[in-house]
Amino acid sequence: MRPRISTQTSNKTYALILSILILSFLLIPIPVLAQQDTLPPSPPTEVKAEDTPNDAGGSITIIWKKSADDIGVVRDDNKVKGYEILRSTRTDGEYELLGKTTAGAESYFDSHARNNIDYFYKIRALGLVSLSESLPSQPVKAKAQWVDWSRKYTFLLALILALSIVYFINQSKTGKELFIRKIAGLEAVTDAVGRATEMGRKIFYIPGISDMDNMQTIAGVTILGQVAKITAEYEAKLEVPTSRSLVMVSCRETIKEAYSNAGRPDLFNENMVYYLTDDQFGYTAAVDGLFVREKPAAIFFQGQFYAESLILAETGNYVGAIQIAGTGQPAQLPFFVAACDYTLIGEELFAASAYLSRDPKLLGSLKGQDVGKFIFLFFILVGSILLAFGVYDLRVFLR
Amino acid sequence: MKDLKPEDINIIVATDCGSTTTKAILIEKKGDEYRLIVRGEAPTTVEAPFEDVTMGVLNAVAEVEELSGRKILDEKGKIITPSNGNVGTDIYVSTSSAGGGLQMMVAGVVRSMTAESAERAALGAGAIVMDVIASNDKRLPHQQIQRIRQLRPDMILLSGGIDGGTTTHVVELAELLSAADPKPRLGIGYQLPVIYAGNINAREAIKNTLLNKVDLTVVENLRPVLERENLLPAREKIHDLFMEHVMAQAPGYKKLMTWTDAPIMPTPGAVGLIMKKIADEEGIQVVGVDIGGATTDIFSVFQGIFNRTVSANLGMSYSVSNVFAEAGLDNVMRWVPFHLDERDLRNRVKNKMIRPTTIPQSMEELIFEQAIAKEALRLAFIQHKSFATVLKGVQQQRTIADAFDQTIGGQTLVNMMTLDMLIGSGGVLSHAPRRHQAALMLIDGFMPEAITRLAVDSIFMMPQLGVLSTVHTKAAVEVFNKDCLIHLGTCIAPAGELKDERDILKYKFEMPDGETIEGTLKYGEMKKFPLGLDEKGDPLKAKAILEPLRGFDLGEGKGGKVEKEIYGGVTGIILDGRGRPFNLPTDDKIRVQKLKEWMITLDIYPNEALERL
Repeated sequence: MRPRISTQTSNKTYALILSILILSFLLIPIPVLAQQDTLPPSPPTEVKAEDTPNDAGGSITIIWKKSADDIGVVRDDNKVKGYEILRSTRTDGEYELLGKTTAGAESYFDSHARNNIDYFYKIRALGLVSLSESLPSQPVKAKAQWVDWSRKYTFLLALILALSIVYFINQSKTGKELFIRKIAGLEAVTDAVGRATEMGRKIFYIPGISDMDNMQTIAGVTILGQVAKITAEYEAKLEVPTSRSLVMVSCRETIKEAYSNAGRPDLFNENMVYYLTDDQFGYTAAVDGLFVREKPAAIFFQGQFYAESLILAETGNYVGAIQIAGTGQPAQLPFFVAACDYTLIGEELFAASAYLSRDPKLLGSLKGQDVGKFIFLFFILVGSILLAFGVYDLRVFLR
Repeated sequence: MKDLKPEDINIIVATDCGSTTTKAILIEKKGDEYRLIVRGEAPTTVEAPFEDVTMGVLNAVAEVEELSGRKILDEKGKIITPSNGNVGTDIYVSTSSAGGGLQMMVAGVVRSMTAESAERAALGAGAIVMDVIASNDKRLPHQQIQRIRQLRPDMILLSGGIDGGTTTHVVELAELLSAADPKPRLGIGYQLPVIYAGNINAREAIKNTLLNKVDLTVVENLRPVLERENLLPAREKIHDLFMEHVMAQAPGYKKLMTWTDAPIMPTPGAVGLIMKKIADEEGIQVVGVDIGGATTDIFSVFQGIFNRTVSANLGMSYSVSNVFAEAGLDNVMRWVPFHLDERDLRNRVKNKMIRPTTIPQSMEELIFEQAIAKEALRLAFIQHKSFATVLKGVQQQRTIADAFDQTIGGQTLVNMMTLDMLIGSGGVLSHAPRRHQAALMLIDGFMPEAITRLAVDSIFMMPQLGVLSTVHTKAAVEVFNKDCLIHLGTCIAPAGELKDERDILKYKFEMPDGETIEGTLKYGEMKKFPLGLDEKGDPLKAKAILEPLRGFDLGEGKGGKVEKEIYGGVTGIILDGRGRPFNLPTDDKIRVQKLKEWMITLDIYPNEALERL
């Protein structure tokens, strides 16, 4: 028979030892943690406040060194939960709470300061149960600066752009031939008008379906002026159906001026330009009908187009017209390229007026803008190459 | 023309009545082929005191008689036809440019469309186009009327509108003519011949407008649709009217017209005709030039389309000052390997202008004159390239692949890469002291690319052969190939550019005698290899295997290898490694050194003379 008493004794002893161990594990840290919570975190140091540079005043930037107990991230084991920014107009005066930041922060932007008043700042580190404050900063005043030096590169680029435009305008005015690459679509304008003249048929000019607040419509109306000048010289028949009343008025004025400049005001007739409808597909159907009935010899599509682009261009192609399209809508370009004789792609639409008129001011501006574009493209290229090689900060890379 | 079958024609006499001289040639059938026997020349007698063109013709033919021993003229001074043994000729044909040739004005609606087609028709018929009137020529109606009155052309070609196209514009042009009431240059009291070759719908209105004002002839529209030209009816009518109106008014031409067996043709028209015939017969692309004292004519046949331009102010004597002014001193002097005082140069140019018949007396003068010729050729060819274009105002068919490569309409037809033959004529080329000089003038003036045959017209008999081709094509073509042309050789010029003098071409020539010539050509270098003529005078042939450097093109794309049979001549094979587009070195010392190097290599001038300069 087994001795039962001894077994019971042994079990009790084990239970006692286990209980002591568990208790000691639970109880021993408690005083340590309690002691840590009650202690305030180390205060932030080196608090500096300075007027925010390159602004219109009303703001002060405060920087400090974070608390030694701040591990830099917002986590449960971080003794510093955040910082409070305090401000006063006197070093020993009452400090008002200005704002809060998270743990790890080392700067704050006071955007509610008034100009030319001395401010003192303190930073308060927030612990779990207690907090600690830094020493106050030196007094600082918010001021407005005359020049925002942070924009010096933008200024430099704008200056180069402006100077190059002025330079090229002057060059153009003195009679120097400014090189502009040949744009097939614009070279063909006279051919298209000539074709209509020889065939004794009409020229249709479609300035898109947008209103005059759209840049592409404006470009289209500008080109219309040049086309109208040629039609006046050739005594060709021009017709402009529009889908916006304002565009109609603008086109009328443009053509009237062009015909006067060409010395043929007698050929101008208000009914050359007319309004059809604002409705996209109503307009498309009407213009298609005109194409089929009138069988024009030349059609210009210059402006903003959407889904109607291919419907119009295909009909124009079907009636045997020379078609010159131009739009800044990338989605419509393939349709125009496939269905038209010539297509002005994006930028070419905006350069067209200078190209056709050869006006020194417009040509000079075009060349000047090219210089700007070249600079931008250069930096984009350099930036892309640097990024490709993992250089994200040029200052770090150069150091 | 007499009822002779072409195979029965054995003896041919042909003349060309030029402004200063009348040239006669005698062609005989020797065995199966026609050959030139002799040529004679005499002063033209269209002006006072003779005022009878036939006198010059008879004088020239008399010289032919003397030289050949064949009796061609009877006791009354008339050409004996048909031939019988050693007497007479089977046919007699003639061309004429005496008295200023055929001077025309053309008119069309749009300058670059129907007006240009009309200009092409007139130039192709051998006319000098004095002015082109168009609805869009930026002149006001009164200026256009004044111009028509001032110029007094021999005839006017009026066109405009496609069939079914504009009528208002064409009628407006006719109204201008009506208001100007133009008078012909020759024949007081005659009405000016006007050919209408425009929109058929406007014919009635044109007739009504010009009624009793001019001698109106209506032919088919020369541009029935914008996509196609139909120049032949207008050209033929120009020739007819040239005979009926212009020639009939010139002194002695009425008599001459009764002698000829084919209508008298304007000289340049006949030259164009033979060029086109040769190009068609041999399936080649040809450029021909006739550089005269006052004008330079350029003819080309590319893709079967014939074009002719007259650069009325580019020539070697009367117009030499203008060449100098248009090209500029620097451009002329870049070809001269020594320095000349500018004042001295200008004096030489003006002397040449006021004494047009003088020829260079020293080596410096010869080099200088040939430098001017190179520039005249270059400028005339620029004009030609801008005129010889595909038709403008034609609808294009595109695909999405054309998005960034939209070709502009009206591109030039002239493609130096596909040019097979370059023919030069005119005193400075035909009478150059050395044939190599003519070859270099053609190369420097035209800058041929890839592989191009070079030839000069020995005695300028292309006009006579042109008019002969209307009656007897075989005889004209045979004489052209065997006797007319002096084959200079073949120029091989890879197109491309380099900055340094690296090898740009590996060449291998398998010569007719079995010899093989191999080597490499450096950039900026020229080489010459002899490949002459056979005993019959035909050019020898060699097989060329050419491998250009990757960036250089010999017609098979950049770096493409070419194997081709090439033709020799009195100069031979010229390898031109100066690249295309061609740029002379900008440094003066290097330029002079290079020019001398090329001249010595090609044996252009006597070396000792070059050393002295």
